[in-house]
Amino acid sequence: MSLEIWISLLGGFCTIGIFTFLWRENAFYRMLEHFFIGIAVGYGPVLVTKEFLWPKVLAPLLGLNRVVFPDGSYEEPYNYWYLLFALALLFGSLYYFIFSRRLSWLAKIVIGFSIGATAGLGFRGWFAEMIPQFSSSMKPLVVFEEGKAIDWITSLGNIAFVFTLVSVMTYFFFSFKSESKMVKGLSSSGRWMMMICFGAFFGSTVMGRMALLVERVQFLLGDWWSAVRVVVG
Amino acid sequence: MRQWWIYLIVFAGLAIPIILKLSVPSGRLHSAEKLFEVVESLPAEPGKIAIVAMDFTPNTVAENEAQTRVIVEHLFRRRIPVVLFSLLPLADTFLKGVPEEIIGRLAKESPTEKWEYGKDWVNLGFQYGSTLFLQSLGKTDDLPGLFGRDTFGSEVATMPIFKGIKNLRNVSFAAEFSGSMVIDSYIQFLQRAGYVPKLGFGPTSVITPEAYVYLDSGQLSGLLEGIPGAAWYSQLLQKKYPNRIKEETEITNTALGVAQLLILLLVVIANVKDFISYRRRTA
Repeated sequence: MSLEIWISLLGGFCTIGIFTFLWRENAFYRMLEHFFIGIAVGYGPVLVTKEFLWPKVLAPLLGLNRVVFPDGSYEEPYNYWYLLFALALLFGSLYYFIFSRRLSWLAKIVIGFSIGATAGLGFRGWFAEMIPQFSSSMKPLVVFEEGKAIDWITSLGNIAFVFTLVSVMTYFFFSFKSESKMVKGLSSSGRWMMMICFGAFFGSTVMGRMALLVERVQFLLGDWWSAVRVVVG
Repeated sequence: MRQWWIYLIVFAGLAIPIILKLSVPSGRLHSAEKLFEVVESLPAEPGKIAIVAMDFTPNTVAENEAQTRVIVEHLFRRRIPVVLFSLLPLADTFLKGVPEEIIGRLAKESPTEKWEYGKDWVNLGFQYGSTLFLQSLGKTDDLPGLFGRDTFGSEVATMPIFKGIKNLRNVSFAAEFSGSMVIDSYIQFLQRAGYVPKLGFGPTSVITPEAYVYLDSGQLSGLLEGIPGAAWYSQLLQKKYPNRIKEETEITNTALGVAQLLILLLVVIANVKDFISYRRRTA
């Protein structure tokens, strides 16, 4: 039997094992759950080392990414700028001092650097993401077609958009207390609009969960069943 | 015991269309159509590439892989060089499998045509750094230098696909497929002074409502809403390329539709039953 058949059999065994949870919580399900967590946790660091740490940091730093000729000479000389990678590695490694009570302040330098960098990126990113959103929110309530006639569909869409935007923003406006009936009505409409939105989210979630199941059903009825038939003969 | 019936009914609803290979035409989705038109309008000329980010892991493979397949297939058909990568390490298998599966199908369809690795597409594998990597994509003037080597360890600068490629201005189109809103980072950082490549997004159904705001603001050029989006895109491909060998997305979409209808039916039945028993109790 080929390796693919064994992989399909094992995949089917694990899928059905996880589905036994539908019957009830059981030791078999627990065991497979721990296998999955262990594999995912182990796979990540290995891949990060293989795909990033070694080829992009350690190999250039040690000069091992250069082509070696049969006489032992290198295609190109060692680029001493790569030594700067060692500084970055040492700086990043300070994070591990978080395990030391006496020297944990060293880890705080790295954490502070990370927070600063993330905040800086976030600040720049926020503008790039939000400014187009602000400008696209300023929609005309009445849209005219080229022949000067009113484009009713787009206009109604824009009115619904602006009404939803204003009412939801009113709902979240807590700075001043208002007894005005109009403000209360808008705020209440905002809540309704959000309820409709949450309904759409929930509907999409159900669809997403079904999509997860359909992939497993396809696997069980396709690859796994074919593998079982090969084994049974 | 009652829940077992629900599990069985839903399983049957999903399994029957798959076993019988039933497929009904999917509903028209304007956002998917927009994306199709964007890919159709891309320039297939030297010095222009498309980047496809497969930022998904096995837990959202059902939706994201189907979406990636139709977009990559369309780019391959249009002869637009494709650069594949992922910001997630667990996408490694899909980065290798998806283009191979598509090329296998295209080769069956037109045996005289060829799609070569290094010329028509390249797999850069997992790219470390997330937001920082995306920011570098926008800033660098040496894209091949930034990528360094592909997933197999070959230097990308020498590959024909990167001939004449310098910076983000050479990227005419970018597509991202994900089960989370990583697209935020692409919208924020995948740009250069005065230039933003056309951006397509394939979200899972769960996060689709969150993505609509970007479509409305024009920050996204098109959207594939879960499997229905991929199925409609697949139908558009079928219409454009009548000899195309059908793939499974439309069957999956049919199974999904049947299961959803069953769930709706079960919700209605349960509510009617509860209502009747309530009336009986209070009568």
